[in-house]
Amino acid sequence: MELIDKLSILADAAKYDASCASSGAPKRSSRGKAGLGSSSGMGICHSFTPDGRCVSLLKVLLTNFCLFDCQYCVNRRSSNVPRARFTPEEVVRLTLSFYRRNTISGLFLSSGIIRSSDYTMEQLIRVARLLRETHQFRGYIHLKAIPEADPRLLEEAGRYADRLSANIELPTLTSLKTLAPEKELGTIHAAMGHIRQGIDATNDDIARDARHLPRSANPKRMAPRYAPGGQSTQMIVGADATDDRTILQSAQHLYRDFRLKRVYYSAFSPIPERPAGLPQAAPPLLREHRLYQADFLIRSYGFQAEELLNAPGNLDLEIDPKLAWALAHRNDFPVDLNRAEPAMIARVPGIGLRSVQRLVDLRRLRRIRYQDLVALRCRLDTLRPFVVTQDYRPTDADRDSTRLRQHLTAPQPAQMALW
Amino acid sequence: MHGVSTPPASCVAWADDFDEWRQQARQLLQAGIPPSRVTWHDGEARHDDLFASPTISERPPSPEGASTPISIGRDQLTLLRNAARYRPRGSEQPRWPLLYRVVWRMVQGDATAMHAADDDGRVLHQRWHAIKREAHHMHAFLRFHRRDDAHGERYVAWFEPAHEILDLGAEHFADRMGGSRWIIATPGGGVSWDGTTLDYRAPCPENWTREARAAANRPNADEEHALWRTYFVSTFNPARLNHKVMTQHMPQRFWRHLSEGDLIPTMEAKARHGGQRLAQETSVGQRQGKALNVKLPADATSLPSRQRDDAPTD
Repeated sequence: MELIDKLSILADAAKYDASCASSGAPKRSSRGKAGLGSSSGMGICHSFTPDGRCVSLLKVLLTNFCLFDCQYCVNRRSSNVPRARFTPEEVVRLTLSFYRRNTISGLFLSSGIIRSSDYTMEQLIRVARLLRETHQFRGYIHLKAIPEADPRLLEEAGRYADRLSANIELPTLTSLKTLAPEKELGTIHAAMGHIRQGIDATNDDIARDARHLPRSANPKRMAPRYAPGGQSTQMIVGADATDDRTILQSAQHLYRDFRLKRVYYSAFSPIPERPAGLPQAAPPLLREHRLYQADFLIRSYGFQAEELLNAPGNLDLEIDPKLAWALAHRNDFPVDLNRAEPAMIARVPGIGLRSVQRLVDLRRLRRIRYQDLVALRCRLDTLRPFVVTQDYRPTDADRDSTRLRQHLTAPQPAQMALW
Repeated sequence: MHGVSTPPASCVAWADDFDEWRQQARQLLQAGIPPSRVTWHDGEARHDDLFASPTISERPPSPEGASTPISIGRDQLTLLRNAARYRPRGSEQPRWPLLYRVVWRMVQGDATAMHAADDDGRVLHQRWHAIKREAHHMHAFLRFHRRDDAHGERYVAWFEPAHEILDLGAEHFADRMGGSRWIIATPGGGVSWDGTTLDYRAPCPENWTREARAAANRPNADEEHALWRTYFVSTFNPARLNHKVMTQHMPQRFWRHLSEGDLIPTMEAKARHGGQRLAQETSVGQRQGKALNVKLPADATSLPSRQRDDAPTD
């Protein structure tokens, strides 16, 4: 099979993994050195496909032959899809060629399980080793961690990769049993634990070295790095009946126990040869969007999953989770922007983290006025009932939440056409 | 006539770039000339004006002003320097009077002048944000085309930045491309990298422009581009079609010079007309499929680490 045909099949087979981040890598440069590639810590999206998703990495499978029979997966062994397999050299060639043309910032390599989990993991590592050692490639590498593989292989993978990810796919034991009989939650958690240990150990080394080395030596370059971009995982949304609360609670648990950098949510897209029981409907994109919003509130705003959803069920599709929380906690509002703790200002719907910082800076200089919120381009329509400034008090502070919600979600009156 | 204060004299100042502006601004501040009394000229607008007021260097420094040191924080200088890279369009404020008004207010003790909630400060922050975004666009959407010469591997690129960010892009690509030689041509200036040093030229040499534009206009000349276009089509999920988000992140002005840009309308049209039912790319679905016949042990709930050698290979 021609390389171009393999690429067509194996890129198509890999697109169900939502992650494409190239961020979080340590600073690397090839200036004045042999080899190729750099990383700055900031991800770069080199293109966008018409689905609005970023193309940052060459995201392919090494092969889509697979022994597993996960029902939601297009590559399961019982699926009648075209199959192909890259040689490691072919993946290296594509990566370097695309990289030089500035169409990607690195490689995200995953694979179907062939022969054994160890063999599969060894093949992935081989590609990364070729790139890093033979070609001195300093761009981004994200490797899929095969959970069942020997921990020593995960250890080796982390020496070459910026990021490792083991996909949990379905957050509950029962869903995994029904839809992915060969996967085991325990094994996936064990793999995440190994990766976390690797990352923690290196960080400890770096911290220790930093205390004893002369200031001129850069400790980051001295210690061998282990997956410096951290680990991530993915959960499929809408393939089964799991609700948002369960999904967010398991995400929270993953962030806490394994210090994951990111949990990705992937709305289940209809696949060819759909097994019975799986939805044929369009992917639930709005639900996925609300989950990402809630995830961000958990990671960066100090919210708990249980605060956002205090009973089993799904997030409100009509309004975003921060506004929903505020409407359910009217007693905590309005917030006086001149006196409140920054963490409480961050809970006001319509004020983002950057504006919180700017408001705190500003109130050291002078009192905050309503006009400042206009200048900072906060979402005025949303925040109006929830804040107090030096010159402003909400008139609708006493209005009950149901009416307030109706008011906030009412369609904007559009000007009538003249004819 | 005692008791009538003389109004501060007015002045004309020119600057081509930030460092020139900074030097002029320092002298004007030391002379105590307020923003309303300074007429700024930017770059090429310089010409002899019969009625022009004297420039600052033609004026004797005011004795009490010269002794006042003008100091400004490093972060603030960064903000000013980067905001000055912005090319105002239409009715937007020209850069030098804005910058001078801000530093004047700072020197007068108004610390809010550079805050994002201030009328002037907001414009500075917005401009710096636009600069970061445009530099990021250059890192992302610039495309190198391989044009080898007698000395070996060599890459050329054409890019049309909206603001003055060529150096921000060049530094990035010097880190990224290592020993590979390249040139980047833009409508304003050009820069080349020979593997060790950056060579800036303004205006851009004509032969660079010609070569880079030709390469950008014939992007599909080699096999590597065919591979990239194939990847772009295959990695797209038609079931998730979302035109708005795509154009938000990748403004259409860049499509012209992307080798995949001309594919986008066709991909969207295909997805809208039936392709949206499945995530799979149509051409992949039309190929011969292959379900795998794997013999699993009776208790096949978990896969042992090292046992199966019956796996299929290509």
